[in-house]
Amino acid sequence: MASPRLKLPVATAANRGALILVVERNPIVQRLERYFLEHAGFNVEFTADGITALARARELKPKILVTEILVPKLDGLSLCRAIKSDLETNNILVMIFSHLQAEDRAVEAGADAFLTKPLDEALLITTVDRLLASKTSAGGNLED
Amino acid sequence: MKIEKIATGCPGLDEVFRGGIPANTISVIMGAPGTGKTILAEQLAFANATPDAPALYLTTLSEPLEKILVHGQTHSFFDATKVGTSVFYEDLGVRLRDSGVENLPEIVLELILAQRPRFVFIDSFKALNELLVQAELRRTITYDLASVLSSYECTSFLIGEYSQETLTELPVFAIADVILQMIKLSTNAMEERFLRVEKLRGSDSVAGLHAFSITGSGIQVYPRLLTPPVAPTYSAKIERVNTGIPGFDDMVAEGFWRGSTTLVAGPTGSGKTIIGLHFVYQGALKGEPGLYLGFQENQNQLTRIIESFGWKADQLTNNGLELMYRSPVEMQLDKVTSELFQRVREGKVKRVVIDALGDLERCSIDRKRFSDYIYALTQWFAVENVTCLMTYELTNLFDVSGISDQQVSNMSDNIVLLRFREGPEMERTLRIIKTRGSAHDNREHRLEITNKGVVVKKAKK
Repeated sequence: MASPRLKLPVATAANRGALILVVERNPIVQRLERYFLEHAGFNVEFTADGITALARARELKPKILVTEILVPKLDGLSLCRAIKSDLETNNILVMIFSHLQAEDRAVEAGADAFLTKPLDEALLITTVDRLLASKTSAGGNLED
Repeated sequence: MKIEKIATGCPGLDEVFRGGIPANTISVIMGAPGTGKTILAEQLAFANATPDAPALYLTTLSEPLEKILVHGQTHSFFDATKVGTSVFYEDLGVRLRDSGVENLPEIVLELILAQRPRFVFIDSFKALNELLVQAELRRTITYDLASVLSSYECTSFLIGEYSQETLTELPVFAIADVILQMIKLSTNAMEERFLRVEKLRGSDSVAGLHAFSITGSGIQVYPRLLTPPVAPTYSAKIERVNTGIPGFDDMVAEGFWRGSTTLVAGPTGSGKTIIGLHFVYQGALKGEPGLYLGFQENQNQLTRIIESFGWKADQLTNNGLELMYRSPVEMQLDKVTSELFQRVREGKVKRVVIDALGDLERCSIDRKRFSDYIYALTQWFAVENVTCLMTYELTNLFDVSGISDQQVSNMSDNIVLLRFREGPEMERTLRIIKTRGSAHDNREHRLEITNKGVVVKKAKK
């Protein structure tokens, strides 16, 4: 349990309960992401590879898909392209969250946001929250 | 890719790391007992931790938490108000005894989630490893811990009494981004501490051994002195520097080149110290700040010599002359040269006397290291246009034909040889035996000590 002294970042009221699909193969990072995102007020689902993530994205229609680039079967950038080129899923926001310094490649792939690891809790929550807010204000057409 | 760096809070250590320890890395601080590992770790913690970026200091089974706290408080960096607000101590040993050391990664993850630290210290990590008898398990646990520490944004330090031999054997060194080794070298009379960056992923450091001392303020590092890079724009000054010694300066075209190093060698009592004092006295008269670094006479003794020649010591001090005394008994080569070098870099001195080189050499455990230091120092003098005079004591009073120490003489641009001439009245003599880039009078002349200093009495041609 977090120390009471900590001021932990939380989602704005409008974004609470939003579903986030996270694609991450490292169980420790998965655990940290789940812990921080759920504490902030989001709902989180996980997959560990790109192919399953694509299927789950079609099925669940999350508000945001957060993916590492280095995931098995279908890498995060290819996954992003697939999401953005599919009429059924192209409304899902994609955030690339990786150890690789690949912001340009993420933008080329159509990602809406990019963050580098290691995981900075405040940065993760505020980026996700801001991304959701931008979607709401843009009526569904978003640019990062 | 720009790498964020963490300031260590240890004077001199950031210079070794060329700006600090890379953030979000795992460092191993290794060394024998008593080398200062825990002091360094705590200094790092207190220098960096804030309420928004706290440090988590986990003690294990090497030293009880109480002892670490008691010892830590003897250093001025230990700010008790930070404990519990920015620096959080936890006794990991108790938890591991209950749940088993194989749960280390899980426990550390729980503590990270509870405290959200930006800095994690495990002291001692080696003590935990020793509980893992099976090599396979040791590797798995170390890997899992590294995975925890790398997943979350924190800079971590694993401290342990590891020896050099274990570097290639233990998995902790494979997962480390930084390995900092702390070493204690002893002879019968002296003990010196050094540190060395064994490994630094993705960054650059100053190679080699760097001396450090442990003071009430914590660890103070004296980075190894490197030969200066010579900028393409650098040009040696075409300017002469004189000593003010009657009869001496005109032996070398009105003085030596500015930025040159002159070695004055001679037996005890031959006048080396007085020549050195003349040199800085003349500088002070001309408004050139000087530094006299002596190892035999303290400031009071030097002041007495200065005033015995009718020179006003307080006026000289006002004109920028500093008399710096260091006892050769407790002296550390790196510390003294670091202090000297600092003044040179700050542009505080134009003339330097080192009296005598032999004292510096004796306080160095490593003869090669001493030569490298003096060479680097004289090169710094040259590029900073600081003119230096070093004295060197010879053991033979009369039969002096040259300087046997080739390395010392090679470091000098100019060499002045003093000796005694036997006879009914023992005479002091002076001869210039080498000047770089200048013609000189190479005859031997009498050197007299008067109540106004020394005078060179020219021999008849």
